[in-house]
Amino acid sequence: MNWVPIAVIARKELSDGFRDRRSIYTMLVTALFGPLLIFFMLNQQTSQTTAAKEIRIPVAGIDFAPVLVNWLQQQPGVEVLAGPTDPEAAVRDGRAEMVLVIKQGFADQFCHSKPATVQLFSDSTRKTTAPKLRRLAGLLNRFNEEIGAARLTVRGVSPDVANPLRIEAIDLASSQQRAATLLDIVLLFLIIAAITGGMQIATDSTAGERERGSLEPLLINPVPRWQIVSGKWLAAVLSASVGMAATLAAIFIALRRLPLEDLGVRFYLSAPKVVLLIAAMSPLALMIPAIQIYLSSFAKSFKEAQSYTVLLVLPVGFIGLISTFYPVTDRPWMQAIPVLAQYSFGTDILAGKRPSLLALTAGGIEAVTIAAIFVWLAARLFSTEEIIFGR
Amino acid sequence: MIRVENLCKRFGTKQALQGVTFSASDGTVTGLLGPNGAGKTTSLRMIYGLMKPDDGSITVDGCDVASDPQSVQARLGVLPDQSGLYGRLTPREHIRYFGNLHGLTGLDLERHIEKWIDNLDLKSIADRPVAGFSHGERTKVALSRALVHEPQNILLDEPTNGLDVMSTRAVRAVIRNLRAEGRCVLFSSHVMQEVSALCDRIFVIASGQVLAQGTPKELLELTGRTTLEDAFVSLVGPEAGASNGELS
Repeated sequence: MNWVPIAVIARKELSDGFRDRRSIYTMLVTALFGPLLIFFMLNQQTSQTTAAKEIRIPVAGIDFAPVLVNWLQQQPGVEVLAGPTDPEAAVRDGRAEMVLVIKQGFADQFCHSKPATVQLFSDSTRKTTAPKLRRLAGLLNRFNEEIGAARLTVRGVSPDVANPLRIEAIDLASSQQRAATLLDIVLLFLIIAAITGGMQIATDSTAGERERGSLEPLLINPVPRWQIVSGKWLAAVLSASVGMAATLAAIFIALRRLPLEDLGVRFYLSAPKVVLLIAAMSPLALMIPAIQIYLSSFAKSFKEAQSYTVLLVLPVGFIGLISTFYPVTDRPWMQAIPVLAQYSFGTDILAGKRPSLLALTAGGIEAVTIAAIFVWLAARLFSTEEIIFGR
Repeated sequence: MIRVENLCKRFGTKQALQGVTFSASDGTVTGLLGPNGAGKTTSLRMIYGLMKPDDGSITVDGCDVASDPQSVQARLGVLPDQSGLYGRLTPREHIRYFGNLHGLTGLDLERHIEKWIDNLDLKSIADRPVAGFSHGERTKVALSRALVHEPQNILLDEPTNGLDVMSTRAVRAVIRNLRAEGRCVLFSSHVMQEVSALCDRIFVIASGQVLAQGTPKELLELTGRTTLEDAFVSLVGPEAGASNGELS
């Protein structure tokens, strides 16, 4: 068997495809969009967490409650300021993120052991305020508990009486697993890269070939149809791999630059982990271009083909959505479904678990089989007169 | 040597070919002459194996298209009715691509590429992407791409259609040269001047049937006319002739 034509066709499609600058830029932008998004999202989250460590509390009516104000000032990372006289307007205008308001009767109510009212003004739609607000609310609760306990002790009652429950929450998730749930989105972007990376070549080398009228001269060459389609598939596979590699590299760089420890997660994308991730996800780069080539072969024009292949994003995105609601990895049947399987392997690997070699191999064989079926189907299409001449 | 026997093909309700028989010998330029829709392109597509006849048989140098299409394709050089080039590739890359697909490699291939770039006067544009090329330049690129593997049998579907004078002359020179080399050239046309200028043997086709065959002189004698155009009109009938504006 002479395999040379496959390589000849793949080389031509690649050099033709990579000369189309605009589609290369589109591919790179889509490949890098995900990592950038992850970077900004996590960066935002960590900076918010660190921001809450040092808070400034504007207090209106600062003179009415020296006890509370002194107590607050003694807490680490807290600065108390004299607040605006019109707290509501100040928060609305954005002059203050939050304002603690103490009423004039505070001291009187406090001395008589009555609940003294304090008001907390804030705007919950402002994302950056939330962690600071949580910190302040936590501080006020602690003040409540401390004073309450002291009052009970003075009256000869053990403070424990007021606490029927002591709650001990033990989180069994390792910090790596917590990181993995946070980084699930990385996998979604890798899958999207597999879709967008090979799309250009998959559509241009099939529907584009029909649209230009170059399919007919190509098929007159003494090369079996399956080899012609395989060459086009191989080119799309390489292009999809480049897209996935670019995405993975960008994610790698982004994660190294993020202070993830501040989020309470320890995460390290080691080299063996990256290799394992590539091994688990690469079947996608074999399978998805084959489906794209088959779908595009029906299309009479490049544009029509793109509208078909873009539809592929929907089921794949849906799978990503499912897996955020259901824990994918502990259902064995899910590892039998393509894309879902790769997704669950990826989640395992990010969580520091190692999927079994058998499962990885099975996933790979399944993907190759699917690719072969769609290449064969496309080759059959390329033998029908309606596809070759129907324009 | 191409032999076509009793080709039949139906598209939906329309009988496109109803028993077409013709042959083209080595060292000869054979013309398929007929109005648009006569079945010329369909016949050629069946010879190069992309369309299957409902009935009938085709052999090229003794190889049967139905049973061994790839051996037939290896012996053919084809210029289809659409040049179908890749806008971002250069003429040299087009020729190399098809040469590779025919199994040519290395120095041997480069020699063939140079030869056809010279033959069709493509030197000045050989390394420019074909996107901005004129119709004549595109046809010349498609022609050299089809001939790079030196096929014994050459099929040309309306090769000079819409070409300017210089390009037409270049294509005609190539065809005459192929005949001098002893190759079998079969080409279709609805343009009378082309056929009379080039063909040794003519098959007149209309409505999926061969109406007459012979040398240009024999056709004149057969119909008793003095010009090939009159002979053609008397053969295909006034309606078919009249429906074909390009004939004059």
